[in-house]
Amino acid sequence: MEKPKIIDNTIMIPSSQDFLPDVDVFLEGVLRGLGVDESTIADIAISVSELVNNAIFHGNKTTRGKTITVEINKVNGSVKIAVTDEGGGFDLDEVENPIDDNNLMKEVGRGLFIVKSLMDSVDKNTTGTGTTVVITKDI
Amino acid sequence: MKLNDRVQNDIVILEPKGKIMGGPDASLLHDKLHDYIEQDMKKVIIDLGKVDWMNSTGLGILISGLTTIRNNNGELKLANLTNKVQSLLTITKLVSVFEAYDSIDEAIESFK
Repeated sequence: MEKPKIIDNTIMIPSSQDFLPDVDVFLEGVLRGLGVDESTIADIAISVSELVNNAIFHGNKTTRGKTITVEINKVNGSVKIAVTDEGGGFDLDEVENPIDDNNLMKEVGRGLFIVKSLMDSVDKNTTGTGTTVVITKDI
Repeated sequence: MKLNDRVQNDIVILEPKGKIMGGPDASLLHDKLHDYIEQDMKKVIIDLGKVDWMNSTGLGILISGLTTIRNNNGELKLANLTNKVQSLLTITKLVSVFEAYDSIDEAIESFK
């Protein structure tokens, strides 16, 4: 895959930060279409950008030929977004606490913390073909 | 993301516009900031009034700039935080790390 591909409520991108804006435009468009308010759209967009960055660097090891998939669904009164990479997974809880005084001045390590702070739930599933992180936000 | 920059007296003012999420645009802010620091500029204000939102990559750029300029006996301050940026700085406790002002003029005044 060399360019993003959109099918219904799903966007697939190569593993490159060049395509972060494509994910953002697609995501925000879908959310606006669902009537989500702008503040919540921003929180979701921030969270998805964190997950996509993690998928690029940690899941797919910046291998451009590997794919990241972002799927958006409305489930009852919530939006559920699944970000899938081709990596072997990680422990959602095995991350240093970025608000610990010892870590405050570090330049990295805040992504998952931000996602957990902004979203109502964060879950992860790893299969033989990749890892999916699912975030949920009430709307 | 677009980036405007200017120097007013001896103060660098950077004005990113849009979303800071990573990738080439974020590198633009990082590189411009570090270019000025390498030119021995010791006073930097980042005007965040036109930043819709940023993620941890944006925060990392701010911290990197702050650390580097402080190591060079300088200071970096923020101005015009949008609600979303303020919220993120609060969530991550970075609100205790950065000096932030409600306007460019107030930030400039603080350097006196």
